Amino acid sequence: MGAKMSGMAVTEECKEKFMELKKKKTYRYIIFKIDEKVQQIVVDKAGAPTEDYDAFAACLPESDCRYGVFDFDFTTPDNCRKSKIFFIAWSPDTSRVKSKMMYSSSKDKFKRELDGVHYELQATDPTEMDLDVIKGRAS
Amino acid sequence: MYGGDEVSAIVLDLGSHSCKAGYAGEDAPKAVLPSLVGTMDPMYLPQEPEQPAKMGVDGDNNNAVDPKTGKPVEAAAKKSTRKLYTGVQAMGYRRDHMEVVPALKDGLINDWEVVESIWDHTLRERLMIDPKEHPMLLAEPSFNTPQHREKIVELMFEKYQIPALFLAKNAVLTSFASGRATSLVVDCGGGSTTVAAVHDGYVLQKAIVRSPIGGEFLTDCMLKALEGRGIAIRPRYSFKRKEVRPGEFELTNVDFPNTTESYRRYIQRAIAADVKESVCRVPDGLFEESSYANIPTTPYELPDGQTIEVGADRFKIPDLMFNPALVQTIPGMEKFTTEAGASVKGLPQMVIESINKCDVDIRRELFSSILLAGGTAAMQQMKERLEKDLIEEAPQAARVKVLASGNAIERRFSVWIGGSILASLGSFQQMWLSKSEFEEHGASYVHRKCP
Repeated sequence: MGAKMSGMAVTEECKEKFMELKKKKTYRYIIFKIDEKVQQIVVDKAGAPTEDYDAFAACLPESDCRYGVFDFDFTTPDNCRKSKIFFIAWSPDTSRVKSKMMYSSSKDKFKRELDGVHYELQATDPTEMDLDVIKGRAS
Repeated sequence: MYGGDEVSAIVLDLGSHSCKAGYAGEDAPKAVLPSLVGTMDPMYLPQEPEQPAKMGVDGDNNNAVDPKTGKPVEAAAKKSTRKLYTGVQAMGYRRDHMEVVPALKDGLINDWEVVESIWDHTLRERLMIDPKEHPMLLAEPSFNTPQHREKIVELMFEKYQIPALFLAKNAVLTSFASGRATSLVVDCGGGSTTVAAVHDGYVLQKAIVRSPIGGEFLTDCMLKALEGRGIAIRPRYSFKRKEVRPGEFELTNVDFPNTTESYRRYIQRAIAADVKESVCRVPDGLFEESSYANIPTTPYELPDGQTIEVGADRFKIPDLMFNPALVQTIPGMEKFTTEAGASVKGLPQMVIESINKCDVDIRRELFSSILLAGGTAAMQQMKERLEKDLIEEAPQAARVKVLASGNAIERRFSVWIGGSILASLGSFQQMWLSKSEFEEHGASYVHRKCP
């Protein structure tokens, strides 16, 4: 059921921007949102490669849901530079139930469209997706 | 594909305690009625003069008439000749020889005739709609069997002629409504408690853990505990209460020897359930008789006017969810653990057992998204206690987080609300299993459309 339960469509722009992030590293992060009127998932914002994780986290609204993709660069203890792509389902407790429902029931299908996500997490408050959580998952 | 979102869909959630129904898109169900009906054997029914075929011998069912369709029925189909009384009002009226029969048993539909009667009443009398015009989203238990699903589909399309249908699992609806595609849903319902892991919108069947301890079990324990203290729970029909002087009442017992035991228990349970809902509170830690012996009591006024004081039982009854062995101390319930076997576990153990049955990769995420739902979850301090117990028992590395809606209505109706929103999403309209698809592929197509 989950895979295609909501039937929400995904715009080409979402996939294209994601491929650019993955292959050309033209963006540090991308934030996606559901456009209720047209029942589609669209790109809300794309952040430049120079921006950091805090800038990404600051783009997530306090009381509405979003999907986010973040390209996390880090150095392993043996001095090896790595990059991992995180998919974050942001669904704060204070958002409307309808919005939670739309995002959670469309997530699985949407994530499948984005080929190349390494890690996924769902967060309902900022502590569930702070930088330490990301570092912990990536290492 | 069914393409009609102009007509609002109906959302039905038939639980073992109550049936919740209403329009998709609304915040709460319009109709909530008991999942029980009163039944009367035809031999007790007054013979109606308009019946065309008169019975030869009293009590002979050969020529009995189905009260609903008016068609003569064969003796073999005797079961369907019983008269059913559905809904709060019809059941609130005491009748001689009326038995009370539940629709579900162990969380699954057991008596289809009762279910049909409840659906009929819900759709036609309470929502006052014509089912032909509305697509229907039905919530189903996570452990529903394929046979049950097909039978529901057949009934809905053939009997009610609905245009389209969708079956959604309880745990998935609760999970989505709280914004998570992956979570561990702890559903404390009326008839039982179910712990189910949801991953990316699918219920992991192998990780479902169930226990027969739900709201109704707690109600029974409350009733027994009160009776054990010598308190008589008198149904409203069993006495007349008259005000002789202002503020002074006189009770007269009224005897109805033909009232069935099941009906008397049904009414007594309703009273005990109210006592439970009004005074109970989950204790902060394991219940111990000695430490609660001097707890201040809470008064409750019964329908017959007597005021009872509830002390330690306020905490002991809800603690049964966490510590089922306590049932041994409730008079008249000692048999329970031996009947249900040693398998009855407390909530924290059920949660850990369920998570341990899941793939190692997702356990961490499940521990941090435990969702508490269902009518019994509305009990005060339930969430805090579950979280506390789990932090003690879960593996060190796990970050335990129990989530529950702050609003008792949302907790109680989380499944229905999830269904309501899902069915109202514009993008969902293409997901319906339509009548023509049913006609073309048959009932088993539901497993494809609504996996």
